Formats: sequence, structure tokens, C-alpha cells
Amino acid sequence: MVARARRGLREEMRLYLVAVTSLSVAFLCVGGALLATTNLSKVAERWGESGRMSIYLRDGARAEDVTQLRMVLEGLPETTTVSALTSQEARALFLEQSDVNSDLAGLPAEVFPASIEVAMAEGTPIQRVDAIAERVGRFRAVSDVETYRSFFDRLGSLVSAGTNLATVLGLLVGLCVFAVIGNTIRLAVARRRAEIEVMKLCGATDGFVRGPFVLEGTFQGAMSALLAVIALGLVFASMRGAIDRSLAEFLGSRAVFLDAWVLFALVLGGGLIGAAGSAISLRRYLTV
Amino acid sequence: MASSRSDDDDKVVRPFAFFRAGARADARAANKPILTFDGVYKYFREDQPTLKDVDLEVERGEFAFITGPSGAGKSTLLQLVYRKHTVDQGRILFCGRDIARLTPKSIPFLRRNLGVVFQDFKVVEHWTVYENVAIALEILAMPRRLVRSRVAEALERVGLAGRGQEKTCTLSGGEQQRVAVARAIVSEPALILADEPTGNLDPHLAIDILTLFEEINETGTTVLFATHDHSLIASRDHRIISIDEGRVVEARTGLRSWGTAKSGLHAVG
Ligand SMILES: Nc1ncnc2c1ncn2[C@@H]1O[C@H](COP(=O)(O)OP(=O)(O)O)[C@@H](O)[C@H]1O
Ligand SMILES: [Mg+2]
Repeated sequence: MVARARRGLREEMRLYLVAVTSLSVAFLCVGGALLATTNLSKVAERWGESGRMSIYLRDGARAEDVTQLRMVLEGLPETTTVSALTSQEARALFLEQSDVNSDLAGLPAEVFPASIEVAMAEGTPIQRVDAIAERVGRFRAVSDVETYRSFFDRLGSLVSAGTNLATVLGLLVGLCVFAVIGNTIRLAVARRRAEIEVMKLCGATDGFVRGPFVLEGTFQGAMSALLAVIALGLVFASMRGAIDRSLAEFLGSRAVFLDAWVLFALVLGGGLIGAAGSAISLRRYLTV
Repeated sequence: MASSRSDDDDKVVRPFAFFRAGARADARAANKPILTFDGVYKYFREDQPTLKDVDLEVERGEFAFITGPSGAGKSTLLQLVYRKHTVDQGRILFCGRDIARLTPKSIPFLRRNLGVVFQDFKVVEHWTVYENVAIALEILAMPRRLVRSRVAEALERVGLAGRGQEKTCTLSGGEQQRVAVARAIVSEPALILADEPTGNLDPHLAIDILTLFEEINETGTTVLFATHDHSLIASRDHRIISIDEGRVVEARTGLRSWGTAKSGLHAVG
């Protein structure tokens, strides 16, 4: 059966090549959407997990007020680390993190307000973070509290939009693969009508006749997905350096490729849809 | 895909498997006709049956012409045997088994015991000669080594020894028909159905092909040879089953292979 499927693939090479090429592009769209979503959610996860809060202090806040504030914060069950950052330290940290030290090195320390950086325990509800921020804001020494909420909200909606897009694309492409492979198999059946007739006359069972076609459909689906995965991998590898240098540092996480199991699922899914497409096509068009 | 046989299929297949040419089946089956038509009707149009009340018996090892004008129903008669069509009334017994009652799933296993040859050859032109013949054995899931030796043997019998690797489309019509004959005999079926196998061939090639079928018949294979070519029929003294207006109106008993003592068997009403 495998030998006959191989012969079929060889004989219908051009027909199948067209199908595989166009389906690869379709799979590439799904893979791209998945990749983007994966990286977005990675960023969101990282930032969401850290549950950070920056409490900016007034200039000339009294040391005992600050100490009291720290004690209150440390006493809360939700906080994991509380660290104070003086103006000088903030300036040093900023200069260290940015490459543009030449111009900004001259900035005085006063430009950077002293702050208390608070990290929340994982899974702290957002309402609780808000409540803490609100309470902290009433302290005399505090000028401003940043919980990064709006940033999270925007990122979160971006991630769910990406997930929706990937899902819709996945369904669409699945349907596309199903239809295209069904059609190529139908064409292949028409072109091989003579040999199908011969096999039937010699006493071939339906399974014997259909087997190679289903294998061919499976191969096309899996091959399209595999090609798309390889292409995506190449594009990712060539762009990774640039992404890491520009975006990743700012976002705090490096670009990641799709998990091995996602890649495997893509190829397997392609194969399964190909098999289903050809099987259903055979059911309708193989009537010798 | 022999492994996918259901129990149901096995009931049908096992008895058939005995009826290979030369194979000695049990005495009871060997004495029975290989093929029996019993009051067979076939309608393609409701008002006019193509075959009317056909009664016919074909003995094991017989060679019989089926003749009649074009459209008489020669092809239909053969198609009922290899179950391209189903009878509308009556029974057809192949090796004592009513093949009208076979389920569609069992039809492949019936066909494995038949060899069929057509006017238009029905060879796959882009396959090699070897592939065209081997397919009949690959269907039986036969080991490749055995396939190779049996195909070589069959090609030798039809006079195409050593030409297995040629593309079938490069062969002449007569040679392509020989490929089809090799495919029909390679699995050593008990019965060969030939539907105008010489219809597309020159007269001298037609005689060659007829002779080929006779040689196959010599080894014990039953041959039903449908043709409307009277010169071909006249050149031999085989039994003639003649169809006219849907009835088997006349049947000359086989003079050569079947003596006068048996002539009563072939009398048809
Ligand atoms: N599949 C079919 N559908 C309808 N009519 C058919 C079919 N096959 C054969 N017939 C009719 O049955 C008659 C006998 O056909 P056929 O057996 O092919 O004759 P022959 O082989 O003797 O020339 C013809 O009149 C033909 O029109
Ligand atoms: Mg005919």
C-alpha cells in the first residue's frame, strides 16, 4: 500500500505540489499567529506574575515616614519583597539599563524620584492590588503609586485578541486544508480511474483501493504543515537577534519559538485533516 | 487487505478458494457444474428484459463460445457472473454457491476466483507490463518473491517472456491483450470470462488470442469466450451458447472436450 501511495505521489507530483505549496502558506499564517500570541502571552505572564507596584516618594519625604510605610508594606501578607530605591540608585539603575549613557549621564539625581518597589505574591487579585495602592497613596510621604494596570489591561486584551485570531485562522485553515486535499484526491481519483477499475475487477477490496489515496492525503496535509513550520523556524531564527536587541529588552522577556508539542500538533493536525479530507472525498467520488 | 475480512466474508471465500485450476477439490464439488444459470432474468428496462429465463450449465474445464448479435446480451451475461450487475430473478451458482446473494463486501472475493478479459484490454497504460500483471497478486497480499516468479511464469505463457519492464503503452494492441490475459490467469482462477477479447484486433491476431485461450483451457481452466465473430467460431468446434432476444436459443455442445455422452447436460429450454 505504501509502495502504491509512493507511486501515486510520484505520478501526481505536480498536482500535489500545487496543493502542498498553497496549504503551506495557509499553515504559515496559523503558525505566525500562534507565534505572535505565544510571545505576547509570555510577556503578559511575566509582567502579570511579578505583580509590581512602584511607590514614588515626595522629595524630602521624612525618613521615619518612609520607614513606617515600609513596615506597613512588609506587614501585608501579599507582598513578597519591598525594596527602597534612593534617587541616586534610581539614576544609576537607569543609566545601567540604557545604552544612552553619554547624553544622560549628566542628569542630576533629583530627576529620578526615590521610590519603594513592591513585588506582590503570585495570584494576588487585581482588586487587592488596587486597594493597597489606594491606601498607600494616602501616606504623607507618597507622591504617586504606579500599579501598571492600564498596561496590563491593554496587553491582556491584545493577547486574547491574538488567541481569537489564531483560533479563527486555525479553523479557517483547517477547513481550507480539508477542502483542498479533498479536491486534489478527487482529481487524482478521476485521473486514476483506469487503474481503480482494473484493481476492482481483480478483486480488490475498497480498503485496498482507498488506502493509498488516504495515505497520499495524509502526506500532503502533514507535509504542508511541516514546510510551514520549517519556514516559520527560518524566519524566526533570522529575526530573533533583531527582536531581542530592540523589543525584548524593553519588554523584559526574550522572543520564544513555538513549543515542540505545538509544532508536532500542527503537523499531526495537518496529517489528520488531510486523511479526513481524502477519506470523505473517496466516499463521494470513488464509485467504480 | 486479506486481514480485513470479516467472518461473514470468510464463509463465502473459503469454499471459493478451492476452485483453482488444477486444484483437486472434494469429489462432490468437482462433479458439479462450475457455473449454473437457473431461470435468470435481467432487466435494464422494465418492459423489456435483456435476459429472459436463462438456464445454462457450464462444466469444469469446458471451453464455450457465447455468441449473438450486437446488443443480444453477451456482455450482460458475463457481467452477471462477475457481479457488475445483479440478477433480477433466478439464481446463478458459481461452484455451487448462489452469487446473486453475495453481499457487496464479498464481491471482491468472488472476483479473485475469476479472470476477466475485455475488448478494450483494460490495462493501465502508464504501468509496466510487470505491474499490470502483478496487481492481481498484490491484491491477494502475496509475498513479493512469489509475485515475481508467478508473473514471470504468466508472461511466459502468453508469449511476453522477459518484457515485464516495458511500459504497456508502447506495446501493440495484440501484445496489450496478452498482458490482460496474463493478468487474468496469473492468480490461477477456475473460470475465465472473455468479453469480445478479439474485437479490437486484426483477424490473424484474433486467432492467436483464441489459441492462447485454448492453451489456457488445456490446463483445466474453464473459459467463456463471448464473440460475435462467426469466422472465429467456425474455425473451432467448441460449444456455442447463442443468445437471441434475451434467450439462450441454441447451444452446440462441445464436440472436442465434451463427448456426445454429455450432450444432454447442455440442452437448454
Ligand atoms: N448498464 C446498462 N444500462 C442499461 N442498459 C444496458 C446496460 N448494459 C447493457 N444494456 C442493454 O442491454 C442490452 C444488451 O447489452 P450487451 O449485453 O452489452 O450486449 P452484447 O454484449 O451482446 O453486445 C443492450 O440493449 C443494452 O442497451
Ligand atoms: Mg458486449
